[in-house]
Amino acid sequence: MSLVTLDFAEELKEYCGDNAFECFNCGTCAAICPLVHDNFPRRMIRYIQVGARQKILENSDELWRCLHCGLCTQTCPREADPGEIILGLKRFVVANWRKS
Amino acid sequence: MFNPRDIIEILAANVRQTKSPFGIPKFMANTWHKDLCLPKEGEYLLFTGLMYQFAPYIEKSTQYLEKYEDTKIAGYLKYTRLLPGYFSGIGLAMMTKPKEKKKAAKPLKDIAYLLQKSKVNFGYRPDLDNYSGILLYDMGDQQGFIAHAKKVARQLQDAGIKKIITIDPHTAYAFKELYPKYTGFGFDVKQYFELLNFEPKDCGLEVTLHDPCFFGRYQKLSDVPREQLSNMGISVTNIRNQGEFTSCCGGPAESISPRLSNEIMEKRAKELQASGKPIVAYCPICLGNLKKSGADVQDLSTLLAKHA
Ligand code: SF4
Ligand code: SF4
Repeated sequence: MSLVTLDFAEELKEYCGDNAFECFNCGTCAAICPLVHDNFPRRMIRYIQVGARQKILENSDELWRCLHCGLCTQTCPREADPGEIILGLKRFVVANWRKS
Repeated sequence: MFNPRDIIEILAANVRQTKSPFGIPKFMANTWHKDLCLPKEGEYLLFTGLMYQFAPYIEKSTQYLEKYEDTKIAGYLKYTRLLPGYFSGIGLAMMTKPKEKKKAAKPLKDIAYLLQKSKVNFGYRPDLDNYSGILLYDMGDQQGFIAHAKKVARQLQDAGIKKIITIDPHTAYAFKELYPKYTGFGFDVKQYFELLNFEPKDCGLEVTLHDPCFFGRYQKLSDVPREQLSNMGISVTNIRNQGEFTSCCGGPAESISPRLSNEIMEKRAKELQASGKPIVAYCPICLGNLKKSGADVQDLSTLLAKHA
C-alpha cells in the first residue's frame, strides 16, 4: 500500500469539502481540544493535506473520540473548521466500511 | 473504547427498525403528556425530539457499557445488532426503574407549564413527535441520518406544521441547520426559553449555568436563559468557560468510551462546582452526565417553573 494517495483530496471532497487546505498547522485546535490526545485533530488534518489516506483508515477509531464540541472550529485562526473536518472524516470512514 | 463500527451499526439498525437509537418503542418512552390534556392545535407545535425521554435509558445502557469497556465481552457487542431493535429496546426499558422515568418527565412537564403560563399558543401531537436522528449524523452515518430525517420532516410537512418549539440543543440544531440542508424541508424553529414571558421577580438567588456546546457555541443562544433568569432576580456566576467558549460535559463520548466521557465530565463538574452555587443545565445529555459527578444539578426548566 502506498504511503500517499495523490487524489485523496478529491475523494474526500464529497465528505469534508476542501477546508483542510486552509490549515497552516498552527496547532491551536490541538491545544484547545479537551481530548488532549496526540496532536488531535491537527494530525488528522495534516494527513489529509499530505494524502495519507491509509493512515486515516488505520487510526480511524480515534475520530470517534471527538465530542463534536466545536471548540477547535471556534478558535481556528484560518477558519478551516477542524471540527467539521473530523465529522467529514467519520463520514468517509463509515462509507468506506460499508463499501468493503 | 468500543469499536465505533459496532456501536454505529447497532444505533443505525435501531433507528431504522424502531425510529429510536436505543430501540425503545415510542409508546413506552413518551408518556409524560398523558395526564396533562395539552391542546393538539396551536400556532406552534411542541416538538420534544424525545431526548429528555431517552435520558434514563441512556444512563442505564451507559452503566452496562462502562462495565464492559475494554474487556473481552466488548467484542461480542457486534452480535447484538442481530437482535431486532425492539427486543433490546424493551429489555433496556424493563431494566430502567419507574422512578428514573418519572424524574425524566419532570423537565417536559415544567416546559409545558412554562409555555402555558407565558400564554404561548402551542399544541402537542405525540404522533408527530419523533427522534430527530441527530446521533446518526454526529456518528458519521450520513445516509442513515438523511433517510430518517426525511421521514420525520415529511410527516410534519404533511400535517401542515410550519413552526415548531424545540427543547434541547441537539434537536434544535438538527431542525435549524441540518433539516433544511439535507431534507429540503425548513421549519421556523424556536427554543422554548426564547418564548417565555413573565412578570419580573426578585428571587435573590445565584446559580452557575452550564452552557451546552450546541446552544453556547453552535447557536449562540446562551444570553437568552441568562436574561430569563435575571428577570426573576436569579444571577448567574461568571466562570471561565462559558457562552461561546463553554466546555463540553463529555456526554457525546458516552456510547463509544464511557471512560473518556467520565474524564471530561469530572473536569467540567469541578469547574462548575468551584463557585459552590447550584448548577443549572439546559440539555438532557449534559444534565444526566453532570449528575453522575454527584454535583447538585437541575434543569433550567425546573428552576424557572419553581419561581415563575
Ligand atoms: S487551528 Fe486551524 S489552522 Fe491551526 S492547526 Fe488547527 S485547523 Fe490548522
Ligand atoms: S470538536 Fe472534536 S476535535 Fe474539535 S475540540 Fe472538540 S473534541 Fe476536539
